[in-house]
Amino acid sequence: MAAISLLNPKSEIARAAQALGINISAATSLQKLMASNLGPKGTTKMLVSAAGDIKITKDGSVLLSEMNIRHPTAAMIARTSTAQDDSTGDGTTSTVLLTGELLKQAELLISEGLHPRVLVEGIMLAKDCALGVLDSLKIPIPFERVALIPVAQTSLRTKLEPGLADMLTDICVDAVLAIRGNGETFLDLNMIELMEMQQHTVLETQLISGLVLDHGGRHPNMPKSLQDAYILTCNVSLELEKTSVTSSFCYKTAEEREKCVTEEHRFIDLRLNKIIELKRQVCADGKRGFVVINQKGIDVPSLEALAAEGILGLRRAKRRNMERLVRACGGEALHSLEDLQEEHLGFAASIREECLGETKFTFVEHCKNPSSVTILIRGQSRHQISAMKDAIRDGLHAIQNAIQDESVLPGAGAFELKAHAELQKFKHSVKGKAQLGVHLFAEALLVIPKTLAVNSGFDVQDTIVKLTDAQREAEGAVGLDLATGEPMDPIAAGLLDNYCVKRQILSSCSVIAGNLLLTDEIIRAGLMSLKG
Amino acid sequence: MDHTREILTFQFGTYANYVGAHFWNQQEANFRYGDEGEQMAEEQLPHNDILYREGLNSHNRTTYTPRLLSVDLAGTLAHLPMAGELYGNFVQRDVELLPFGTGEELEKARQRAEESGVSTSQQLDVKEEPAIEISEYQRDLMKNAVAPEKNYKLAETARSWADFLYSRYHPRTLNVLPGLVRDPQHQILSTYSAGEDLWKETAFNDDLTDRIRLYIEECDGLQGFHMLFDIDDGFGGLATKCLEHLNDEYSRASFVVPLHYPRATSYPQADSRLSHCIRVANTVLSYQQLSEQATMFTPLSTLETIWRNTNLKSRNLSGMYWQADNLYQTSAVLAAFLDTATMSYRLRDTPESLMRFCERVTPSGRKMTAAGMALPLGLGDGQDLIEFLDQSGDHALLTQLSPGCEPGTSYVIQSVTARGIPLERLKRPREQAGDQMRMAAYGCDSVSQMLQLYYQCSYHGSVTNAAASPVSLKTQLPFPFEMFGRGITPSGFRLPGEAMREQGVRVDSAPVLAALQNSTKLGEHLDSLHAQTHRVQLAKLQAYSSNSGLERDEYETALDHLLEFRDLYEDSQYL
Repeated sequence: MAAISLLNPKSEIARAAQALGINISAATSLQKLMASNLGPKGTTKMLVSAAGDIKITKDGSVLLSEMNIRHPTAAMIARTSTAQDDSTGDGTTSTVLLTGELLKQAELLISEGLHPRVLVEGIMLAKDCALGVLDSLKIPIPFERVALIPVAQTSLRTKLEPGLADMLTDICVDAVLAIRGNGETFLDLNMIELMEMQQHTVLETQLISGLVLDHGGRHPNMPKSLQDAYILTCNVSLELEKTSVTSSFCYKTAEEREKCVTEEHRFIDLRLNKIIELKRQVCADGKRGFVVINQKGIDVPSLEALAAEGILGLRRAKRRNMERLVRACGGEALHSLEDLQEEHLGFAASIREECLGETKFTFVEHCKNPSSVTILIRGQSRHQISAMKDAIRDGLHAIQNAIQDESVLPGAGAFELKAHAELQKFKHSVKGKAQLGVHLFAEALLVIPKTLAVNSGFDVQDTIVKLTDAQREAEGAVGLDLATGEPMDPIAAGLLDNYCVKRQILSSCSVIAGNLLLTDEIIRAGLMSLKG
Repeated sequence: MDHTREILTFQFGTYANYVGAHFWNQQEANFRYGDEGEQMAEEQLPHNDILYREGLNSHNRTTYTPRLLSVDLAGTLAHLPMAGELYGNFVQRDVELLPFGTGEELEKARQRAEESGVSTSQQLDVKEEPAIEISEYQRDLMKNAVAPEKNYKLAETARSWADFLYSRYHPRTLNVLPGLVRDPQHQILSTYSAGEDLWKETAFNDDLTDRIRLYIEECDGLQGFHMLFDIDDGFGGLATKCLEHLNDEYSRASFVVPLHYPRATSYPQADSRLSHCIRVANTVLSYQQLSEQATMFTPLSTLETIWRNTNLKSRNLSGMYWQADNLYQTSAVLAAFLDTATMSYRLRDTPESLMRFCERVTPSGRKMTAAGMALPLGLGDGQDLIEFLDQSGDHALLTQLSPGCEPGTSYVIQSVTARGIPLERLKRPREQAGDQMRMAAYGCDSVSQMLQLYYQCSYHGSVTNAAASPVSLKTQLPFPFEMFGRGITPSGFRLPGEAMREQGVRVDSAPVLAALQNSTKLGEHLDSLHAQTHRVQLAKLQAYSSNSGLERDEYETALDHLLEFRDLYEDSQYL
């Protein structure tokens, strides 16, 4: 009897075999749930909520966060894999599959009397060996369009229909190349704005070399489109704000009241005059447009003054857009209009406003060398758009990972097959029972090619035997061709995975599987029960 | 300035959404469409554009929806889709409610999605959750077949505020906390710090702040914010963080209403004693933030006191009966108060603004005010206001709605709003005046003037601002009309003596008097809160110590600040 039950008779305990059983069943059922998602041939799920909300997804992390998982073990695995997604943007499904498989394989060995500690030791050894294999498979790539396309394509094709995926591949790669700017390796994906418009079809999704803002001019007389426009980006209030002391004005006549009102607005007018003066100065020839994009508000009298000068004024811009604007159009984001100069202005060749339902969109396009761009996602309905958004985000992450690693891996299960073969050799160099752990790890890795085969409708044993045979004979990487079920060369086929994703999958799976295997007691005793 | 001075409303938490639902229902019950029989002076009607926005949905239909952001736990929306019902983007699960000749909506959505290519294999695996049953009232509402005489028994059957919501929301309005599912037994989001952490979550924060920005972008003359939140649980942390953001970004007036559940709240992994401690800690931390961030805040609850109130002793409005712990009924009372009290700056053509309104009743930093209401007013059938006030004598008109707050009758600063008293009920014309002629108030020509005079005489050394609107409180469905006792006429006046309203006739509307009051006596409310803190041992609060890093120092500072805030209510500080 556990000590805790002496102190708290209401606590629930599960010990040794029972505890392990709980953990294993949770991990394997999670694995079953996610298995059908893996790979380009996996199924996409359409989730319909009780109230009729629709969500379309194939992304493991989205699925995991949609299903509110209550089981503690399953929640633990789910949390690890979503953490994986947060840092690298991919690999959730693989993490769940591999963890589940490790535990499933371990069950048999442990029931035969092997101590989990020894097993975990073996798993850790195998993991280190597998990481070595991972490094040996690395293919260095340059920071070039041609080299990045297959990476993005591999990622997107697992989410979307091939035609659409190829179209998005170009968009994603071009977007990343654009924001790279002066060639730094650090990429801020925030500089790619994802804007959505619910119209047309997803095939109309496009890359805008500039910005799209989800608001427009708030005055009917403001220009709807401008050519060769100067852009003033600022964070200066152009409206009356609340006073910090109670104030009111007294007046006797209508003229006096007028005077008070204008006086109150004088500070704002001074700022406005600065802008208008500059506009007159730089747009003297009357051919160029002028746009003010303000993070703060612009009130009605100010809008009127701007409209009278033919200036397009946008208020309440997104905070993040201030930086994006500067990177897209040049110029500087001003916090005060004290010494406003021409060099503070940005430039865009075309600015136009589009109206969709109740929302206005302002396109700031054709900028000179923009280092911030927008991917404009279009679709018939909100759930299609958000499915696209998830896919694009994954594609961008895949490119970012490849650039940061400066290398990629052959995909289509090639790494798992190679590691399996290497581990089988490595097993013999390990002494004692830890060997079993290494063997187990090697077998577990095969779950990825196996699931790929299942999802494509091939016979598992058949395929695996073919693949391992091919692996034994081939020098380089061998992957599974999902169209034919035959072995093929993933590098030639342009199927490339991210190095850091695989690396992280390996380490997080082995750690979490180790933790779960070593658990020999599960206790549930809340404070409620302590009061008993 | 002639443009609209908008107010943006926030509702954080389940009870806040209950109160909010009643509030918006009340707004829409008072909408006037063109020429209706009763004539009222234009400028005395509420200006709906202040709280509502006009929009256009994807079917090119004009919509009129509240400027509202609501945050709640998952599972409280019941049949409501996340994007609301006006703008599409969901499938109607209930076949009965589909227009004739349509159907298979889900099938169509699936086909369209498959054709668009968002799946790899042109196939979608549909996973349906069981559809939720739509409440009888909502079903009738959607079929446009609400029978005004039908009794839907909403008090017993309403599972959530969505069940009695007449108003329809904009797609931007509803936010659901990711992964937090409502549990009828416990407060899932239990602590203030957990709420604060939620605000810091990037995805949630980005989404919410962007929605705020979009609402504000479309306002020409935003005057401020109304914010309702549940103070008993973690929503306090979320709300005060949001308030901080609003002050940083937009610097406008804010009228904040912390709401206490009308029942003892319990938290996961805590017995009643610990639950009490968590509640005290949540309140202390929220109050401290509010005393710094809000322009004015008014704690509301239908309970007499929120501390050690085990048998749920409730406030009493004469002529009204409700179950002390019924969320649907109590929230209607609080919503009636909010709607009436905020009326004065929502009227057409009023020079009043939210900022001025708040500052008037919060002198020298006393930002906490108390609420008082008379519903129904108690004006007898056939009685004039002048007589009613004359006969009321010493006994107070108002029932307090802030827990543990008794502002007293002297040295009070207050804003009083009366509604639903027609001008002809003010006093009798000169020819029939009789005794009324001798009363000092006979010289008054409006309801607000008369109230002003009344309070000048009966409250010693006090400052009163009175306002009035002839618009009465509408108490038809979905308002809990069953709360009215039999001694009230259908138009909300008191029947003389033992007379009873006819069986089966409901009260349609009622006159209401509501007040926001401030006096030195409110210090006692803070004292009683502080007295509770002696029992709190922070170290024992697992909910606080384990998953959210509330430091002991942080809590101590909050307590110190609270005491400083209490000092503002000392007599010596009085203006």
